[in-house]
Amino acid sequence: MAIYRRAISRRGPVAFRRSNPVSATSQVESLARQLADQIIREREQAKARQRLGRIFTSFDATDDVLPNNIETVTRGLFAGNTGSLTTMFTSSNLTATQKTYFQEIFSTGDPASNNNANAELSMAYGHFNGSGSKDLTGNLNNDTPTRAIYKQYAQLLLAPNDKKFTINGTDTNEIYVLNFNRARIREKLDPGNFELTLAQLSGSAVGGINADSVPNNAHTGSNVKVSGTGKYIQIIDDSSLTSGGSVSEGGLVYNLVSGSIDEGTAIHNATSPVYYGLLYPQHGVAILNGEQLNKDISTGGVNFNSVTASAVQGANAVKLFTSLNASDALTDAGSNGGIQARSSEQVKSTYYFVRVKNAEYNYSNNPSFVTGSLGELYFNTFTNDPQVYITTVGLYNQRRELLATAKLSQPLLKNYTREALIKVKLDF
Amino acid sequence: MGYLNNSTITVDAILTKKGRELLARGRDEFKITQFALADDEVDYDLYNPEHPLGTAYYGAAIENMPVVEALADETQMLKYKLVTLPKGTARIPVVRVAQSTIELNANESTTITPSTVNFGGGNRRFGYTAILSDSDVADIVATRGARNSAASVPQFIGDSEAAQSITVSGTQFEITAKELLNADKQVTILFIGNETGGRASVTLTVKKVEVATVGQSQA
Repeated sequence: MAIYRRAISRRGPVAFRRSNPVSATSQVESLARQLADQIIREREQAKARQRLGRIFTSFDATDDVLPNNIETVTRGLFAGNTGSLTTMFTSSNLTATQKTYFQEIFSTGDPASNNNANAELSMAYGHFNGSGSKDLTGNLNNDTPTRAIYKQYAQLLLAPNDKKFTINGTDTNEIYVLNFNRARIREKLDPGNFELTLAQLSGSAVGGINADSVPNNAHTGSNVKVSGTGKYIQIIDDSSLTSGGSVSEGGLVYNLVSGSIDEGTAIHNATSPVYYGLLYPQHGVAILNGEQLNKDISTGGVNFNSVTASAVQGANAVKLFTSLNASDALTDAGSNGGIQARSSEQVKSTYYFVRVKNAEYNYSNNPSFVTGSLGELYFNTFTNDPQVYITTVGLYNQRRELLATAKLSQPLLKNYTREALIKVKLDF
Repeated sequence: MGYLNNSTITVDAILTKKGRELLARGRDEFKITQFALADDEVDYDLYNPEHPLGTAYYGAAIENMPVVEALADETQMLKYKLVTLPKGTARIPVVRVAQSTIELNANESTTITPSTVNFGGGNRRFGYTAILSDSDVADIVATRGARNSAASVPQFIGDSEAAQSITVSGTQFEITAKELLNADKQVTILFIGNETGGRASVTLTVKKVEVATVGQSQA
């Protein structure tokens, strides 16, 4: 403003007196243009001066900062970012009582003998009436582990007035549960990338008893073997269907149906698949219908023949373990058995665009950049053509406190002929 | 026809300890507003203007060097910052203090006024950050402030000593020695320019308190 007044008083009035009205207008325009140019020039010079002798550059909140970008990150569900768990181990560290409720499943080895064993998930069997397990307190079938398991998951996943899991419109008394460790699922299981391969069970592992001749109450988890080659089923979620998925009391829920993700997601007989259970991705829980798994393979089951006798420790959860663990050996070459799954997580990021102009940041406070105590440049050529290398970006607040740092993978050359744009991503 | 080189570099940042602390206090406290660049691990002695293969190879030894990962300790990051200076600069702004060593007795004080040479008005606006590495030995206060005075480096040296370090920001500082009963102690005071970067250090020795014993005075 001061510049404008000074210019008008010095030059404007004189020009007006000597001109006719038309030329006076053009002279005013010309003067205004000159003044505007001068103001812009002076501002740019001031800006350039301000930049000199500076180590910090302010971000333009509009142009340089891109806040709250949400990105979905998926990973293999199991230890080491592995998407398949084909070889599993139960834990000898569980107490006998714990084993009546659930089996903890590890990759790599039994944690009792292998320090590198990684906990992946737990398997459990639940029965609405408490069958398939023994009442530990001596009461009559009221406090059995399988009843507790069924009630626990019903309480977690179903609406308050809903006591039973309903699979394809039919209530079931028997459930098998796969509960994946929270650290593995992060935010949730990734729907569309979940597959279970279950081998058909038969007979007894002890004494070669024929499956058909084994009474139900003797067909316990430790007393089964797999039927053999080709006898397995594959189960996936139905998120690939437009009708797949709904939101329930337990959050997102998908049906578990017959199908495979080995060669692209394909539901077997998509219009009328076999329904095996429910997948609750946000809980990291898969509920399998025990009644369906008890059936023979010809009717879509795997002959689990779950022990449902009362006052008998059926160890049914071990059957699920045996079936999953053995299935990889039965599948075709190129296909994975066991469990295939991914985790999914939404990551919120802010991007900072660090723009380094050609005239900026061409000198360094690095002690090797100078020689002697007077700050003389190490190389004489650096006086007119300094060369520095950016390796680190620091993000600061207004109080010049270093809040975040980023390193480049290689030093980046910076001189008067180079500009740099570094995109710094900060995840929250 | 070759592929165009994508010139945008994307890097992942990590929060420093200070960043985590402020984030824990709330998003309002955590507000990134500016950036700085550094070349901490580059030794310019590797730059070779006499390379037999010519100009393209002068900096090859530096450019091919792998860079170490970022650390969360803000005291160990961005020590040597890049600075914007006029073209033709022959000397880098240097932070200076009058004395490189100071010796004080208990309760004695001295004033230190850092200055910046080779750049007129350098660090006059935002001043200097002074870090006294051991508060058991002396105390330091800023007697003349600067704009946006803040402890840009809140901790110093190792964990055991970090709690005892003092960081203040200003343009003039007063150091007062404490009473030491067991032995003389030596500490370092580091002054960092908040505008031009650069650093200068002072070694402070505080003498232990000499107490005459009763037996000596009777003799």
